[in-house]
Amino acid sequence: MRQGEFLAIVLPIKDKLYRLAKRILVSQDEAEDAVQEVYLKLWKGRGKIKNYKNPEAFAMTMTKNYCLDRLKSKQAGNLKIVHSNYAHSQNVAREIEANDGVALVFKIMETLPEQQKIVLQLRDVEQFEFAEIAKMLDSNETAVRVALSRARKTVREQLIQQYNYGIN
Amino acid sequence: MELTKVEHLLASYFEGTTTLQEEAELRAYFSGSDVAPHLQAYQPMFAAFAQSKDETFTREVVLPKEKKSTNRWWLGIAASLLVAIGVFGFFNQEPTLTAEEKEAMIAFEKTKEAFKMLSQNFNEGAEELTYINNFTETKNKILK
Repeated sequence: MRQGEFLAIVLPIKDKLYRLAKRILVSQDEAEDAVQEVYLKLWKGRGKIKNYKNPEAFAMTMTKNYCLDRLKSKQAGNLKIVHSNYAHSQNVAREIEANDGVALVFKIMETLPEQQKIVLQLRDVEQFEFAEIAKMLDSNETAVRVALSRARKTVREQLIQQYNYGIN
Repeated sequence: MELTKVEHLLASYFEGTTTLQEEAELRAYFSGSDVAPHLQAYQPMFAAFAQSKDETFTREVVLPKEKKSTNRWWLGIAASLLVAIGVFGFFNQEPTLTAEEKEAMIAFEKTKEAFKMLSQNFNEGAEELTYINNFTETKNKILK
């Protein structure tokens, strides 16, 4: 496969890959590095890419796995930061004074468990079908719905808590 | 959209049982300007999702340069093999004749032999002709 042909298949999904990477890794730089890395991997395995019925789902899965691996190796070498992140997340509603509701939602989403973050991103931002999400995450639709419901409820609770707090 | 329908959809939404179509209706409602006061707390949620989708990957994707000739090693081998076969065939050339050609060759030799004999006899005959010349000369002398 030539590079032009390859890019025609995989380049249209770059934004989705990037947004997923950023949802998991938070940092813009790291998300961009991750997308670049995923494209290199896809290019190396380009012989197989045509065999996959859905290159988009395949690339999304690869991005998710790569980002989770990055997160793991980062945490392994940086336990202290993880701990402070955790402490921070417990008090997120109180620590954030932002009146901007949207910024608050982003902050809340950062504190969600990885799996919920990913499901929320794939459904509420990218609007994939449950079947597609289940395939991407190597899971089943019920598990996806459960994770999604939890993620949405957590965002709602924290948001309303903050909303009332802001008003009072 | 009716308020009761919105509330109903919202309840399903948090249970993870809405369809993509229903979620689109919710997004449309919350992006509008007439959101019921008691539902305004949900607005930032849908706004955040919409805002997230506007983010794009702006960096250039870098791939390793393509090699021009990939796996052409067999071409070299094929070429040298062809040359080897050609040289071998050239030195092993044998004048091989078929039975017919051999027969023709023998016939040719025999014919050559026959012609040689013929020409020898011819020459002998020509020598004899000198006597006839002498005879003619003598006859002319006498019968003048």
